[in-house]
Amino acid sequence: MSDAPTTGMSAYDAHGHEVSKFQIYVQIAMLLAVITGIEIVCVYLPFARWLLVSALVFFSAVKFLFVIFFFMHLRWDKPFCTILFFIGLVLAGGTMWALLQLFAAEASRPLTM
Amino acid sequence: MSTAAVATIDHHHDPSTSTGIPNKKLIMWAFLASDCMFFGALISTHLIYRLHPPAGGLEPKNIFAPELTSFSTFILLMSSLMMALAVTAIQKGNVKSCRWSLLTTIFFGMIFLGCQVYEFTEFVTVKNMTISNSLLGTTFFTLTGTHGCHVAIGVLWLSLMYVRSFKPAAGNPWQKSWLSHNLLHAGCLIAALLLSLKIVISLVFILKEAPSFGAGFSHFLGAEFIYIALAIVAYGALVWFARPRGAVDFNEVNAIDVESMGLYWHFVDIVWIVIFTAVYLLEYI
Repeated sequence: MSDAPTTGMSAYDAHGHEVSKFQIYVQIAMLLAVITGIEIVCVYLPFARWLLVSALVFFSAVKFLFVIFFFMHLRWDKPFCTILFFIGLVLAGGTMWALLQLFAAEASRPLTM
Repeated sequence: MSTAAVATIDHHHDPSTSTGIPNKKLIMWAFLASDCMFFGALISTHLIYRLHPPAGGLEPKNIFAPELTSFSTFILLMSSLMMALAVTAIQKGNVKSCRWSLLTTIFFGMIFLGCQVYEFTEFVTVKNMTISNSLLGTTFFTLTGTHGCHVAIGVLWLSLMYVRSFKPAAGNPWQKSWLSHNLLHAGCLIAALLLSLKIVISLVFILKEAPSFGAGFSHFLGAEFIYIALAIVAYGALVWFARPRGAVDFNEVNAIDVESMGLYWHFVDIVWIVIFTAVYLLEYI
């Protein structure tokens, strides 16, 4: 998108055609609503737990990325905004992963259990 | 501002800063990055306690209501859409469309808060889960309550931005009294929102316990008459405040203010996307 004019009014598709941001936003909102519906249906399906957890994490990540890159304009903004936000996101994700690993260890289980 | 001037505004790049990014946008992204870590700590705390639930603890499946939470999620996603449309509208200089989009976002935000108030009340009074009687209650209320506070702050910010959009331009005779006028406007909007929330929540709880809809509704009208009357007055005042009052000092130059607020609102949405999966959906697998 960097070589396309960025007046904030429109985006450009793969063929260089101008696409209204209104259309993009409505399409993404509908997509997010459909993904949410799929997530809700997923939890009632009789599949393996690991498969369902992976699917839910994947769907959440897709929704998350759609919102930050389109609704929050990261797709059209300077890359520094993306880097800045992802620094916080990676630190948060790393902290979560580390905490979950630490507390998953046998030695970390509460004695009262 | 003229059409020619509109075309010269680049809402994604600011040549006057060393980074090329408007400072307001940069500070908002830095704040959101720090807020990621804040919510990351709260979510991981909840997940850790869910991985090691204490013996005899509450069972989330018996407490949570997936229908209500799914509805809340859908409402918050739609509010994000309206917020994105508000930003696009003000970038085009379309103040009227921006105001309607802001009002719709506020409306959806209030529905979300109403659902949360209803959910919390149900959990405490019916399911007997409080913030202090179980680990699940402690981590759940801390996490979702903090998110709810973020939504409430977002609604307040949206309301103030809506009122700000009526600030008279230089030369407008209303300019002399805009501060007191806009303070009253903001007060009426916030009063209307809080009264609406109280009335709707009361209606839901009264209808739930009433033997029939007619009996419940009559009881509701009697019990909530004063609040309904005050809400009607507040909404009437809002219509009066929103009447055309000449040129306003709110146009595409203010797009960065609306966009920064929009970033905050979308962040609240993405946090809920994670909470919805991590706290609610994973319990049903």
